[in-house]
Amino acid sequence: MTSLPALPIALPLLAAAFLAGARKWLRRWMVDLAAVLTAGANLALTTMLLERSWHGNIVYWFGNWFPRGRMVLGIGFEVDPVGAGLAVLASLLTLLALIYSWRAIESGQNLYQPLMLIFLAAMCGFVMTADLFNLFVFFELMSTAAFALCGLKVQEPAPLQGAFNFAVTNTVGAFLILTGIALLYAVTGALNMAQIGWLLGSRHDSLVVAACAFIISGFLVKAAIAPFHFWLPDAHSVAPTAVCVLFSGLMVELGVFAVLRLTTVIFGAGIGAGHPELRNTLLVLGSLTVLWGGVMCFSEHHLKRILAFSTISHSGAMLLGAALGTPVAVCGWIIYLFAHAMAKAGLFFTAGILLHRLRTMSEPALFGRGRPLRFTAVLWLLGGMALAGLPPFGLAQGADLMEAAAGSPQLGRCLSFLLLFTGTMTAAAVFHVLLRVFAGAGDAGPSDRASEVGELPESSEETNRIPGRMFVPAAVCIALAAAPSFVPHAGKFAIRAASLFLSRDAYIHQIYSMPGSPLSVALPPISLVSSLLRGLAAVVIAAALAGAAVGHKHVPRPYRWATRLEGRLFPLRQLQSGHPGDYVVWCMVGFVLVGGCLFAFQ
Amino acid sequence: MNHLLQIYPYLVAGWIFLCGLYGIASSKHLVHMVISLAVLQTSTYVLLLNIGFRKNGIAPIFADLSPGIITVDAVVQALMLTDVVVEATVVALLLAMVVKVHEKAGTLSPDDLRLMRG
Repeated sequence: MTSLPALPIALPLLAAAFLAGARKWLRRWMVDLAAVLTAGANLALTTMLLERSWHGNIVYWFGNWFPRGRMVLGIGFEVDPVGAGLAVLASLLTLLALIYSWRAIESGQNLYQPLMLIFLAAMCGFVMTADLFNLFVFFELMSTAAFALCGLKVQEPAPLQGAFNFAVTNTVGAFLILTGIALLYAVTGALNMAQIGWLLGSRHDSLVVAACAFIISGFLVKAAIAPFHFWLPDAHSVAPTAVCVLFSGLMVELGVFAVLRLTTVIFGAGIGAGHPELRNTLLVLGSLTVLWGGVMCFSEHHLKRILAFSTISHSGAMLLGAALGTPVAVCGWIIYLFAHAMAKAGLFFTAGILLHRLRTMSEPALFGRGRPLRFTAVLWLLGGMALAGLPPFGLAQGADLMEAAAGSPQLGRCLSFLLLFTGTMTAAAVFHVLLRVFAGAGDAGPSDRASEVGELPESSEETNRIPGRMFVPAAVCIALAAAPSFVPHAGKFAIRAASLFLSRDAYIHQIYSMPGSPLSVALPPISLVSSLLRGLAAVVIAAALAGAAVGHKHVPRPYRWATRLEGRLFPLRQLQSGHPGDYVVWCMVGFVLVGGCLFAFQ
Repeated sequence: MNHLLQIYPYLVAGWIFLCGLYGIASSKHLVHMVISLAVLQTSTYVLLLNIGFRKNGIAPIFADLSPGIITVDAVVQALMLTDVVVEATVVALLLAMVVKVHEKAGTLSPDDLRLMRG
């Protein structure tokens, strides 16, 4: 099966086209079943691909347009274990999301299943392609499917506004990427990433730096890195739950993935290597994102918005790992990404269960109404602990590895603080929801406009029981978040994948069918005690913050400032204006920041 | 003079980009905002076509050309065509959303459509 790499894209696209066309003549359960089967088949295909890519990157040329000498003629895929692994994750999340939304209201109309399959195909293509323009096309396909999925509930005004803000901001990001690609083509006359990387070599004049700034800024919009992040909460708070799972679990992280892939393959020998400007720029932006996302996460009162800001904060943490760019850091990034995707998917599914049973996502409106839902409360609690980075959940292991890769002690301390901060604040937000909704403790909390965004329930079934199709995906996701600690040799697999991913020469040589020698790096020893201590510290501080926010009347006056963090007039919240024009201006501020830093440090 | 002519198309592309950006940032009407986005997009057409430009080059239709004749870069034109397709899709989707927004909210001013504030 030499055409294996093309199948995970071809299969969902064909199935989507068939379902979109034949939907009228099929019964609902048939459409659902066909979509689930397609996603399942994709999971099998991508797993096979992952297994095969283990012995070296798989190169596939469409239409057998092989390179002539050093000249690449056609469009090719190069599948490495990280790319294949992300495709597996995409298939898995799509499968769970489709099972979750089985026979839900919107899946009957609106081309929901075909759009999900197109989204899946685009994500698979995005992580496997070796062609820069192809990367852009898959990026746009992914974005367009995402815009439509986000605004799926057209019966209401809020989803339309959220999807509109999302679409405008991300499209501007896409144009930045395209401009960067055009500049790179002007410099090298090539579109294959390996060929561009080989032609650029260690060159980093102002034109290449400008191209780098354009492309990286564009992908940072998708990665929701501050100040490019404003679209994300709007999109997440209105998208259907199953779609939120894909957005938060993978789509946002793919932005970081693209930054890492391009800084490795294309800019790896020039701006990316030995010149700290790019690394420092990304570290600064990542830190800003961790802090901003964390604070905003704690001050929100809409369940999906809380999870959205938590994704922003964790995306910043992942950018920190990616910015370090050493095999150990990338190994940590892989484990962190997987565990975060699973924990966040589990939390979104759990929020979806609440929406199904209690018909709202607003924390004040849900106050005390979650008391009978004990199992759901357990899932929510475990999800919070996973976000805090408590072992055995994989975020702990990922964070440890990223810290171990920091190099200098100062940077290590900064990273420790930032990773602790993101875990603490995002878990604190989850815990204050737990206290208010499931325990009915304290008061209902401040109400604000964003928390009152109405949401149409996603199911028409009777609401006094939780169907298995909703509960099982949530439980599976939370359990899988702990998988990196229990699967034997998970760390070894991740470090091997990371070394293959960062072997720039091997990647470039593989395109020209020449032997390349991948790096081989050993896994550093990780102290379980310090990991456990940090996780416990995060959980304890988070619980204290949540307790203080919920029972702020009982907090002694000298400490009451801490409870005001949650106040609705927090100045940062004013920046979240709901006007897409403002978001685009912020994107440009970020772009000028990235470009300025790259040129200033040069 | 020659140098200025070389750099001129890049300035035009940058200017169009800024025009589109200003349109989006200051927009008072959603249709205006979508069209501004389309204007912003056209800057990439100018950029791409300029990158593929060769002096005295002719259209890259190779059916009846003898080798050695200069043509403009065909790859860039293919990129631009793909770009047009992408753009058409996004604008069509956005305009469809705008129609629905008008149906639901009865207004198209982004200042009145701030459900997502905060």
